[in-house]
Amino acid sequence: MKGLKVIYYTALLQMKCSFARPMFRFCLIANPIVNTVLLYEMFKSSDRGDFVSYVVLGAGLMALWSCICFSSAGDINRERYSGTLSLIYVAPAGFSAIITGKVIGNTILSMVTFILSFLTAKILFRIDIKVSHPYCLLLAIFCAVVSFSMISIIVAYLLTLSRKTQLYMNCIEIPVILVCGFVFPAEILPLWVRPISYILSPTWAVKLIRLSVSEVWNIKEFYTVLCILIAVTAVYLVIGYFLLKLIESQVRVLATLEVS
Amino acid sequence: MFKIEEFLCYETLYPLLTLIFYCVLAGYSYQTSDLTRWVVGNSFLLCINTCIFTLGSTFMAERAYGCVRSLIVSPSHKLGIILHKGFFTCIAAMATVIIGFFAGGLIFSVDYSGINWFLFFTAVVTAMFAAAGFGMFIGIFGLITDQMHFVLNFMSYVLMIFCGANFPIEQLPPGARLVSDFLPLTHSIEAVNMLFGTINRYQFIRLLLREAGIGILYYLLSFFLIRLIEKVSVKKGAMEVF
Repeated sequence: MKGLKVIYYTALLQMKCSFARPMFRFCLIANPIVNTVLLYEMFKSSDRGDFVSYVVLGAGLMALWSCICFSSAGDINRERYSGTLSLIYVAPAGFSAIITGKVIGNTILSMVTFILSFLTAKILFRIDIKVSHPYCLLLAIFCAVVSFSMISIIVAYLLTLSRKTQLYMNCIEIPVILVCGFVFPAEILPLWVRPISYILSPTWAVKLIRLSVSEVWNIKEFYTVLCILIAVTAVYLVIGYFLLKLIESQVRVLATLEVS
Repeated sequence: MFKIEEFLCYETLYPLLTLIFYCVLAGYSYQTSDLTRWVVGNSFLLCINTCIFTLGSTFMAERAYGCVRSLIVSPSHKLGIILHKGFFTCIAAMATVIIGFFAGGLIFSVDYSGINWFLFFTAVVTAMFAAAGFGMFIGIFGLITDQMHFVLNFMSYVLMIFCGANFPIEQLPPGARLVSDFLPLTHSIEAVNMLFGTINRYQFIRLLLREAGIGILYYLLSFFLIRLIEKVSVKKGAMEVF
């Protein structure tokens, strides 16, 4: 219960702190708008009937991932730069609870990108997105929040070990958007790339969201993707747990939390 | 100090993956396997990293080190400070564009057989000249705002949307096309695309002259604007605002 309270209040505080940063505001507000414009213009001449879902969801997802990269991943660096990383690391509230709260706060706030990309498409281009199965979409979005939060926690833990956080958070943005098929199906990528796509949970989260707005409803496929997403996220949870233990011992033995 | 992992990640891998991403997206959205024009457009856009972000963040970096006040009171011209950085930035940007062009060409099987290399390199040099001018112009605003991350990122998207790298600018509304006309890269990308088809030398030279003209316009604007911005920054006391 105490852990949940820590997560809740950290998430609330994190939302306020993140929104105060100009770069986060860019990712949250400007990014979905400009991405929607860019994607719409690129898809406009295509004959694809489902292009609206690629434009609106793609732009929202790209902006969501940018928010995660530049906030959840970058928070470690900010704490280190402010000299507070060691303080939150040894705080009785627990480092993992604080990081989880930060990541959940960022991810929930970042969901605004979907609303903005939808509004941009509607206001600027007068296009509408039909949601065939709203409850399935809500379920898919909930699963996406959990899976994106989980992958962010792992990234944040890994970045605890390095001071080159800024470099790495820039470098993980485009590769994930590319291999997870945010704006095109991951299946069009070369065969050797696909295993990488399949082990990344965003691939399945994106697929699930897209299936829930698809006009061609395939319930079996929806639940198969949902099960895979849950399984992959569970594996991440286990990896995250062991990673935290490993990093904890490394940080204590080497004393490199602030200087690594 | 040069660090190999930073060079590999930030100057090589990241731009290359960005180029691949937009080319794959174009291939999917336009349902085509001939990605020449997107390889051209996106390889030119790779200069954003150096020309916009490096030059544009000049005063931001000086502010972080607490040097803006010293720079303002120094007798040297403030544009010189950006231009010192600009020369090597231009060379680095040219190298990035050319490497990106060849790497993208290899990955997406671009046919280079009919290309006139002299005209291509002329177009690259002109484009980088104009892009560096634009980066310098943007960088000046670093004296009066602490929101340069926002400004630079926004400008990178403006270039991505308006310079015709990913879709023809004819698709844009007339007002937006006017913006395209005054942005760097628009005309050089159009000129290089021409090299893969029938070359109209008169049209090619006209495009490059317009590109160079836009570059000169930004250098001149920067020259006149910096004094005004310097005064505003002194008046507002915005030199050391974080």
